[in-house]
Amino acid sequence: MSVEEVKALFIERKVLKNLDFILIIAIFLLLVLSSLVVTSASQSVIASRPYYYAQRHIINIMIGLVAMFGVLGLNYVHLAPRQKWIYGLMIFLLLLVLIPGIGQDAKGATRAINLGFMNLQPAELAKLLFIIAFAQFLSDRQNQLHTLRDFLPAFVYVAVPMLLIMAQPDLGTALVFIGIFFGMMFVGGANPKLLTAIGGIGLFTVIAGIWIHFNVVEWLPLKNYQIQRLVVFLDPYNDGRGGLGYGFNIIQSLVAIGSGGLWGKGWGSGSQVQGNFLPEHHTDFIFSVVGEELGFVGASFILLLYLFLIYRSLLIAFQAKDMFGTLIVIGITSMFLFHLLVNVGMTIGVMPITGIPLPLLSYGGSSMLTNLLALGLILNIGMRRQKIVF
Amino acid sequence: MKLNLIVRKRIAVLFLIMAGFLFLLGARLVWIQVVQGDLLQQKAMHNRLREVRVEAKRGVIYDRNGKELAISVSTDSVGAFPSQVKRSGRAEEIARELAAILEMSEKDVYERITKNASFVWIKRKIGFELGPKIKALNLPGIEVYEESQRYYPNDSLAAHVLGFAGIDNQGLEGLEKKYDEELRGDAGRIIIEFDAVGREIPQATHQYIPPTDGNSIVLTIDETIQYIVERELDLLMEGPHQPKSAAVIVMDPRNGDILALSSRPTFNPNLYNQFPQSHWRNVNVSNAYEPGSTFKILIAAAALEEKVVSLEDRFYDPGYIKVGKERIKCWRSGNPHGSQSFLEGIENSCNPVFVEAGLRLEEKQKNLMYRYLRAFGLGEPTGVDLFGEAKGIMIPENELRTINLATISIGQGIAVTPLQLVSAVSASVNGGYLIKPRLVKEIRNNDGEAVQTFEPEVVRQVISQETSRQVVLALERVVSNGTGRNAYIPGYRVGGKTGTAQIAGPGGYQQGKYVASFMGVAPVNDPRLVALVVVEEPQGIYYGGTVAAPIFKKVVEDSLHYLGVPPQYNKEELEKEEQAEKEEVVVPDVTNIDPEQAKNALGAVGLVAAFQGQGQVVVDQTPKGLAKAKKGSRVLLHLGTSDAGAPEVMVPDLTGNRIREAADLVEALGLKLKPNGTAGKAVEQDPIPGTLVLPGTSIIVTFQEEEPASPVLGP
Repeated sequence: MSVEEVKALFIERKVLKNLDFILIIAIFLLLVLSSLVVTSASQSVIASRPYYYAQRHIINIMIGLVAMFGVLGLNYVHLAPRQKWIYGLMIFLLLLVLIPGIGQDAKGATRAINLGFMNLQPAELAKLLFIIAFAQFLSDRQNQLHTLRDFLPAFVYVAVPMLLIMAQPDLGTALVFIGIFFGMMFVGGANPKLLTAIGGIGLFTVIAGIWIHFNVVEWLPLKNYQIQRLVVFLDPYNDGRGGLGYGFNIIQSLVAIGSGGLWGKGWGSGSQVQGNFLPEHHTDFIFSVVGEELGFVGASFILLLYLFLIYRSLLIAFQAKDMFGTLIVIGITSMFLFHLLVNVGMTIGVMPITGIPLPLLSYGGSSMLTNLLALGLILNIGMRRQKIVF
Repeated sequence: MKLNLIVRKRIAVLFLIMAGFLFLLGARLVWIQVVQGDLLQQKAMHNRLREVRVEAKRGVIYDRNGKELAISVSTDSVGAFPSQVKRSGRAEEIARELAAILEMSEKDVYERITKNASFVWIKRKIGFELGPKIKALNLPGIEVYEESQRYYPNDSLAAHVLGFAGIDNQGLEGLEKKYDEELRGDAGRIIIEFDAVGREIPQATHQYIPPTDGNSIVLTIDETIQYIVERELDLLMEGPHQPKSAAVIVMDPRNGDILALSSRPTFNPNLYNQFPQSHWRNVNVSNAYEPGSTFKILIAAAALEEKVVSLEDRFYDPGYIKVGKERIKCWRSGNPHGSQSFLEGIENSCNPVFVEAGLRLEEKQKNLMYRYLRAFGLGEPTGVDLFGEAKGIMIPENELRTINLATISIGQGIAVTPLQLVSAVSASVNGGYLIKPRLVKEIRNNDGEAVQTFEPEVVRQVISQETSRQVVLALERVVSNGTGRNAYIPGYRVGGKTGTAQIAGPGGYQQGKYVASFMGVAPVNDPRLVALVVVEEPQGIYYGGTVAAPIFKKVVEDSLHYLGVPPQYNKEELEKEEQAEKEEVVVPDVTNIDPEQAKNALGAVGLVAAFQGQGQVVVDQTPKGLAKAKKGSRVLLHLGTSDAGAPEVMVPDLTGNRIREAADLVEALGLKLKPNGTAGKAVEQDPIPGTLVLPGTSIIVTFQEEEPASPVLGP
């Protein structure tokens, strides 16, 4: 460490007063709720070890918090020049997991790399790496995103990680990149009309494509179960098995949330959860647990916390000292929102089953690490919103 | 670098968009949790609740005095939750252990406990002892539940009245079926919370909705009288007559209460499926038979009521009566009754007298006889509380010819059920009121409070009090002077009528197949009991007066004593009674000794041995040892093991004996009586007295004079 760097570190201590403590409180509140809900949700997963997942979850949170606060020490602006390295690291990780023997198979997909102490999902980390790289990518192209031709490099930039993730296959996480992409493009100054048109056409094409797949000719290269999961939310009882196939999860989730009513059945008392009617209830369907055990009051409180989180984050984006920082925050916020929409939407029957976790709430080490790292980055950017002059 | 305005604007727009999305999620939450909450709540309930039925305890069936005729006892049943069994991975071990305890095959148990069902019974109603053993093993997924089982403490007593209930406590026959809804109660439920894969949730509530036990019913049946009837029927069936079937009904004519109703063959409702279904049949209500001379009571009642005859009217019996071109013979055509009053005609059971009386009714008014028969309830079910009641057979009015009326007058050409006849005769002797036969007095709830009471139901008055009185007195004469002598009960005024009818089969009446019956009432001065004894196809003697009347006598005598009806002895009877009481002896226990020794032992104290079955050893005796019995009465000895060389018996001198006396004597010696001739006193016998014969040998005895018996029909 050079003298300059030590000096810089010392100076940066002063910026701690700019740390967004309110955002940190919101994060902690969510993490406390998360611990409670995951504890309740996971106690019936392994009957002999009811607190196995709860303990793991707390450890994950600890690791994540260390990462979150740790990342504060690193000035984010130093990331900008390393854009290509970051993008390269992302691709390296995404390729690594596809190599047989390194990637861990789970449920027909290869998503994780065993690091010994945890199974790291490169796709989770990839989202953050992409956001950082893409933020610099867009910063370099300010006011140069007017035509479709201008858009093309950006498309390629996002398509590479998406395709690699789809190869795992992990459609849900791949789709998150679209959310990130549109959010960052929009704030990054892209032609809004063109962006809206592309978004609209894209959405239409997907819907039409799936419609054709089902009603005209099966042409999509997706596996049948993926397609089923995408559309079954429209009519969960029409899943070919009378609500016992892919519709089962949705039906059980709806029953869980609905039966929670206004005040919920109480922590640890949700019959759908404790009776294992609800699938994946400590991971993807954690929000159903909230809905059943804590009721509408608990569920809407959590949604409001998320809204607050987004609000504070966008405030930081608003005040960031450079476009790079703003775009990182926008990317992370977009990622959060996309996860939120798709995950919560799935549990309440308005979104396809994509199997992406609810940030900060779901059990899962990679997801927790990525999200807390991301929040650390936002705090980092907020902390350094002022240009400090000696 | 300051962010330009556009970027700031876009961040604001982005926030609005994001907030909008979150708002939509919130709105959807309101819809699901607040609006549809109740509906989805129900779905969640439905998801996790499984029900196990808990059978209600079936109500008790009491006799009229509150004695239990049918009760429910607790018993254990073993069930399994296959998913739990399979999960435990010990299915084979469980099957092995259960199979050993339940005495079932391992394979059978294994198949049951691994069946693809949420719950299965392994074995039900296993009693009390095995349940705790199984519970102690604490096998996963195996549960022991308490169920109730029907139990009939008196075994076959009143079996045909009670019927029986099946494995699920559902009434299948008799009153159990008729009153099933009352007796059954409402099943309760154990509601158990289960998770998605059929695991019971440990801390979850096990809601127990207790069953509502069934109501109890109180019958008109009197257990003691029923027992007396059953005892006599058993003796009859085991005795020398060896009838095909037999039936007895005892009714209280004052209110139509059925005090006893029984028939043979019978069954044990505790083990009902071990008996042929034909034994379940309640012949007293389901079987119509030709009543023969007992039917003459109704004809006499109708004729007296219509005043087409009076008791003093004179008739002449030349041994037959001509009806149109046909001749109907009197049963004693060889020795015609000659000139007699109507009352004497009743005493003699003279066929021509009754044919005449019947035809006079018809002369007075067309269909008048039928109107009376229908008024007596014939041709219609009595409406008693049992399924399968027959309505009897009556020739339709438009096909009725004079000859039919003539034969109906003597009880042939018409078929009635025993219950119909009892009910009709009750009406003839109780002052003329036809009362619907009553079997159930009351329905009680679990607290013993009456929820429904059945009052006696008078259907109509058929004849006047005056006529009824005349009928009863005439019936008394039959017993004191006429054919019903064997029904005479010391101390009571008894009235009755014998009946002996040939059984009709394809192509006319069947030779040698008779129904012997006796229909009687006591006491005559204030009728308390009306009883009918029907014996179908007795072997040997087939006269109603010989086969059925003694049973009537024993049943009614014991019943009157039991009911505490004070006897009104005349002087002569009183002396006899005192004498008899003095002569009461203690019956020695003669079981397990050889029959000859037993006979001697009994003879030493003045008792007569009667053998039953074959064998070298007395295995049982009725009455039992140490019981008291009158001197001279019979002790029935049941013999066991095969008999190689039976001791020979000396044939007694039977001359001068009436049929019943002769029968008693012969039977007491283990011989059989084959009467030759109608009735009266024995005048001749073969083999002659003093001959040594093997037990079971038939003694042909010729009887002559006096005793009327069977009508032998003309056509």
